Amino acid sequence: MTHASVQQRATQPRALPEIVVDRVWRFFCSVRAAVVEIAILAVLVLAGTLRGSSVPQSIADILPITAPVIDGWYAWDVFRSLPFAGILTLLAVAIAVCTINRAPGIWQAIAHPSVSTTHGFLRNAETSAVFAARIPPHAFAGQLETALRSKSYRVLSEERNGEIHLYADRWRFSRLATFPFHLALIMILAGGIVGATWGFRENEFYIPEGSVRELGHGTGLDVRLDDFSEVYREDGTALAYRSDITVMRDGQPIESGSMTVNNPLTFGNIVFYQSGFGQAVALKIEDSAGQVLFDDALPLGPFQSKLNPDAPAARMDLLPAGVALSVVAPDEDPANAPQLDTLQLRLGEMLFMIRPLGGESPITEPVGATVRQGDSIKLGDLSLTFVRERRFSVLQVASNPGIPLFIAASVLLVGGLAVTFYFPHRRVRGIVSTTNDGSLARLAPIARRDWSARRVFEGLVIEIGRQLGASSELHINEPASSATGSGQSVRPSF
Amino acid sequence: MESLVRLSFYCFAAATIAFVASAACYLAYAIGRVRLRQTALATSAGTTLVAHEASLEPAPLGIGRFATLLAWFGVAFQAASILFRTLAGGRLPLSNMYEFSCTFVLLAGVVYLLFERWYGVRQLGAIVLPLVVGMCAYIWLLPADLREVNALIPALQNRPLMTVHVSMAILAYATFAVAFAAAVLFLVANRWQVAWLPSPDLLDDLGYRAVTIGFPAMAMVLILGSVWAYRAWGTYWQWDPKETAALFTWLIYGVYLHTRSLRGWRGSRSAVILLVAFAAVVFTYFGNYVFGGLHAYGGV
Repeated sequence: MTHASVQQRATQPRALPEIVVDRVWRFFCSVRAAVVEIAILAVLVLAGTLRGSSVPQSIADILPITAPVIDGWYAWDVFRSLPFAGILTLLAVAIAVCTINRAPGIWQAIAHPSVSTTHGFLRNAETSAVFAARIPPHAFAGQLETALRSKSYRVLSEERNGEIHLYADRWRFSRLATFPFHLALIMILAGGIVGATWGFRENEFYIPEGSVRELGHGTGLDVRLDDFSEVYREDGTALAYRSDITVMRDGQPIESGSMTVNNPLTFGNIVFYQSGFGQAVALKIEDSAGQVLFDDALPLGPFQSKLNPDAPAARMDLLPAGVALSVVAPDEDPANAPQLDTLQLRLGEMLFMIRPLGGESPITEPVGATVRQGDSIKLGDLSLTFVRERRFSVLQVASNPGIPLFIAASVLLVGGLAVTFYFPHRRVRGIVSTTNDGSLARLAPIARRDWSARRVFEGLVIEIGRQLGASSELHINEPASSATGSGQSVRPSF
Repeated sequence: MESLVRLSFYCFAAATIAFVASAACYLAYAIGRVRLRQTALATSAGTTLVAHEASLEPAPLGIGRFATLLAWFGVAFQAASILFRTLAGGRLPLSNMYEFSCTFVLLAGVVYLLFERWYGVRQLGAIVLPLVVGMCAYIWLLPADLREVNALIPALQNRPLMTVHVSMAILAYATFAVAFAAAVLFLVANRWQVAWLPSPDLLDDLGYRAVTIGFPAMAMVLILGSVWAYRAWGTYWQWDPKETAALFTWLIYGVYLHTRSLRGWRGSRSAVILLVAFAAVVFTYFGNYVFGGLHAYGGV
């Protein structure tokens, strides 16, 4: 008499933190969640992209009811918003967690794949091949292994119930390429954070020719613009804009160099870029006591004067004198909106105007005058000399310690993609059985609904058949009919 | 130089004619031909009943071969057009929408013909070649002054980076066009079971293979664009609309690849993602018309 007893395994209820951690972990590992996150990111990127276009306005014009939403859309800086930062963070964490989670399985498939398979798998595979030979199974399996190895396949085998199970694969290490690819995505984000945290960026660093400007950002450096030049082709199109600068510390020159658009100047970890240029005015301003309040060049351009909004202009506060100075140059394109030009300045002339600044200003009304280059004039208590016209250059200055991370990430990203796509892991399973007159081997690829893998397998079968000289046939199951087991057999011609 | 530019345009005109003829042949080959059968039956009353039956049959193979030949002619003429323009300008024509589109037409033709050869699928041409013809029509509609070869503005004066960055973009768009065509044909083949269309599995694989070329190429576009941006503008990412549109496109193809490799999506669902992704490609391609931003000089 046989006694059977069912012993129920004692299960302890899991603690709440364990349940929470498990669920969070599974959320980050979920491919469905990752796809939704990428889709949300794509939608946010689309919203941010369209924000820089006229598309939202067109929608508002067609559907006036949407106007408030469209206004909100234009006002929303998507790429600096919390949802955008949130989804990026979520994706970065998901990539990290998912990668860690997949690592053991991938390594298992590479190092210790399961060798045994079933006749059902081989019979129902979309493509399979049958080889027959009049030799014992062990000898036939050995021949198959040799043929597969000659095509660069790794072959593993084990005996089960009198049958020999085969597992062969090629380019198994390509499965690891997913790690550098996903690591690269995290590194790019990390590079952005490193650059924003420990680097700096000056988008509009104005320097007139001959002037020195402090760089700031804790560098202790000054920059002098020695020369700015524009080179034009014969047809009048711009060939190059070039700035020659000297980097200084404590008033002493350290390094000089030139930059043009596309050819920045690197000084240590600081890079100078040519960004723009314009007209400047060299001025000397003294107060009634003869004290020099300003003796430098003032860039014209960032400021618009109501007297001629088209013309280059500048504004500067002279705090010690209690006035604000405006300078307006002649219109560079008199044909454009001439009705706006109330000044009608000629070449070599500029309008200088001072306005009251603060409660203790010595003047109560604006005072202005047109001055020719080289002339001096009295404006209120101030003596102003229009020394000469000059050029100014606009530089971009950046220090980004995240760049090496970005470069390394780029290499990993492209390399990871290339290995994943162009060296796919190809796998074949098989069983060699004994028959009345020798052995029968049935092989099939792991290639469900993978047309390329099936084609590679079919090529492999032809090559194996050629090497073995054994009788063989290729069995193709059409996916739709595989459930019924019907298929078609093809006898390859070797 | 002017004669080379004119010669280049004449070659483009010849390529357009070849592509139009090729597209017509590919369409005829893919759709098949309608055969009308007439059956006469004599009745016991002495009258004759005539029955008409229309059926769709595969087009002759010859028309498919002729389509391929014409497509190769188109590619040869377009290659000559690009060569003459390169000689005229001393650089590859990639600096404005006219030049970009001319090079795209060439690459789309070449990429399609290579896929046709690898997979032996001619019916795909019924989608790709009309796209190419559409692009030719767009080029014809562009302002005539864009046909002149102009010197590069300072911002574009980085020939190695411009050549590789823009060429990669064109390669990516061309392969995505082939993937789109495969997706459309897949949906048709899957829906109507047309006997002479390629098997849905093959089309599904073809679309995937095209994306495995286009996706890394698009990644290279983003990376090289970032490297160039760093050299020219001082930052490798500016959130410029054209940049972000390219990123958007890349993300959609990323969704396609992830759903395919990790969730095992195949067939109709994958094909629909490819259609959406190609809409993103079109949006990125013609985005210059609605975007401002730092790529504005690359517009018309």
